[in-house]
Order: sequence, then C-alpha cells, then structure tokens
Amino acid sequence: MWLWFSKLGSPRWFYELSSKWLPWLYAAMIVLMAIGLFWALLIVPEDYQQGQTIRIMYVHVPVASISLACFPLMAVAGTITLVWKMKLADMVAKSVAPIGAWFTGLALASGAIWGDQIWGTWWAWDARLTSLLIQFFLFIGVIALRSAIESQDAAAKACAVLAIVGAINVPIIKYSVEWWNTLHQPASSFSMDPVAPNPPEVWVPLLIMISAVYVFFVIALILRTRNEILQRERRSQWVIDLVSREKSV
Amino acid sequence: MKPHRRKKLGIIIFIAVGLSTAIGLSLYALSNNIDLFFTPTQVAAGEVTPGQRIRVGGMVKEGSVEHSQEILEVSFITTDYNHDVLIKYAGILPDLFREGQGIVAEGAMSADGTFVASRVLAKHDENYMSVEVKAALDAAGNTPGMPQGVLQ
Repeated sequence: MWLWFSKLGSPRWFYELSSKWLPWLYAAMIVLMAIGLFWALLIVPEDYQQGQTIRIMYVHVPVASISLACFPLMAVAGTITLVWKMKLADMVAKSVAPIGAWFTGLALASGAIWGDQIWGTWWAWDARLTSLLIQFFLFIGVIALRSAIESQDAAAKACAVLAIVGAINVPIIKYSVEWWNTLHQPASSFSMDPVAPNPPEVWVPLLIMISAVYVFFVIALILRTRNEILQRERRSQWVIDLVSREKSV
Repeated sequence: MKPHRRKKLGIIIFIAVGLSTAIGLSLYALSNNIDLFFTPTQVAAGEVTPGQRIRVGGMVKEGSVEHSQEILEVSFITTDYNHDVLIKYAGILPDLFREGQGIVAEGAMSADGTFVASRVLAKHDENYMSVEVKAALDAAGNTPGMPQGVLQ
C-alpha cells in the first residue's frame, strides 16, 4: 500500500501509466456519451409537469455533481501536498481548479436556463444558488492565488490551505436544500418501481449521463495533469528523452 | 507516519474542524435570513411587518384561484396546511402555476392582511415522471405526497 502510494506520487510513473489508460477512457466516454445523450434527449418521456424541459436535468445534474466533487478532490490533494509534500498532488490540485470552475459555471448556467423556464426566474438568492455561486468564486480565487504567487512551493501551500477551507462550502451546497427553505427542490430519491415517482425510465439515462460526464472529467484532469508534469519536469532526463523520441518519429 | 507529518495533519484537521464549527454556528444563527421565504405559519405568528418587502412561500390552495374578468389580476390562497395567506397579484404567472402547486410570492403584506405580490415564482418538487406514470398513479389513488418536500 505504501509502496503504491509513493509510486503514485512519482510524476513519471503517473505519466506512463495514464498513457495506457487514456485510450480506454476515450472509448468509454464516447460510448457512454452517445448512449446517454440519445436516451436523454430522444427516448425519455416528457415529464408530467415540466414537459420537454426535463431534458435539461440530464445535463444540469451531471455537471453540478462533478462541480461538487472537484473541491473535495482539490482539498485532499492540498492536504497531501501540505503533509507528505507529494509533487503529483499539487499538479493535480492545480489542474483541477479550472475544470472545477468550468463545471460550476456550467451548473449555474444550465440551472439558470432551467429555472427561467420552470420557476419563472433565472436567478434567486436562495441558499443553493448562492452557495454554488460562492463555490464558483472560490475556484476563481484559487486560480488567481496561484498565479499571484511566484514561488511554486509557496503557491502550492497557499492554494492547499484555501482549498481545504473552501471545501467546507461543499456540504453547505449539498444540504442547503434541506437546512433552509429554497426555490431549488430537494434531491430526488430514485425508485425501482416503474410506476412511481422517479422511475427507472427517468434515472437510468441520468446515471449513464453522470458516468459519461465523469469520464470526461477524468480525461480532462489527466490531460491537464500530464501537461503540468511535462512543464515542471522539463529538465529531468526522462522528459528530455521523451521529447527527443517524439521529435524523431 | 512520521511524527512531524502526524503533527501537520493534526493541525490541518484541527483548523478544518474548528472553522466548520464556526461557520456552522453562524449559519445556524442566520438561518432566518438564509431562508428564501416566510411560511404562512410564520406570517400568522406575526413575524412579518406590513409594508416590509418579503417573500411568502406555500402551496396554492385548491379552489382558491380567482381571475379578474377585466384586468390581469388574480387572487389565490397560499397555504402550508396550518395557516393561509391571501395573495393578490397583477401580472403574468409562471406556466407551472396551478392549484396544488408550490409557489413563492414576492411583495409585501398590506394593512388588511392580504399579501400584495409583485412577482410569483413556481417551485417544482423532486418527483419526475411521465404523463402515463402520473395518470397510472392517480388512477390507483396513491398520488405521492405532493406537499412533502415542496414546502421545504
């Protein structure tokens, strides 16, 4: 376990291993995305209340759930950076911030489009919407903080602290709809019964869309991290070898 | 784990737990301000001063919606099944507005105890299903508890 942990911390090891993962991830994403989008946009029946508008859910819920996963990931990577000083952890933390900002922005935008149709307004200062907006600003803050500090180690530490503190917002976002009264509806509970609220015909395609977007997220994270590895390790021999090999091909 | 790492991890956990507690307590203290709307029960308890701009949320009471014949004015009762608030509104209602639906109205209480809204928003609940499933459920007479969740 500890050997695996220290191996995973080696950027070179991660770079080589992820080269093997990427083709599989691309294939999985294309298949899941194709099935998920086709099912969600064309097969899912109209909702009894919301009609066609329900299809926005199949985009909104996946991007929102990933935007909520990004901050804890950044906080865990930050903790590893602070405690074990693992190089790879900070590269992941740096790579996940812009992705998290994008997913949070997409969740806000898709939610605004949905809300405009169903609630009658694209924005309300309720607890769910406001806390997610705060998360968006926190991501922007992490990105700005990193580019504001010149020393790479100092930037890594500062961003790790901000990531850990900012992660407190995640349970607030998650439970905002239960702790306070909001315009946003609470989380749905899925039913196995085909004749019940939230039957399988509603949630199976949602699950496929969530996994498709998750795979997309993992691919984006790996690609960014690989970029970061090459940039930071550009003076090490294995990167120089790799580049010269690529050039000669 | 090496002692200095254990110590560092301890400090991080201590700070995270301390900050979460502090934030948790302040959010708890502010919960009245974080709530998006007042419930009819809160209005009945006199938590609202007339003229103050607030939001009131609840379900549209069955059979209470009255449209004016001449102008675009509508009046309806919103309820949390304990207390009612009579709402008057002149404007365009959201598509989802109907009896039994959860709504949030923005406006102010007038002196005579009616709520004059300047905007009405529709809430929707967390139950998604097709028209057919809904019809089957209605036919079986076990419509899922609509109020549940919608009032939260």
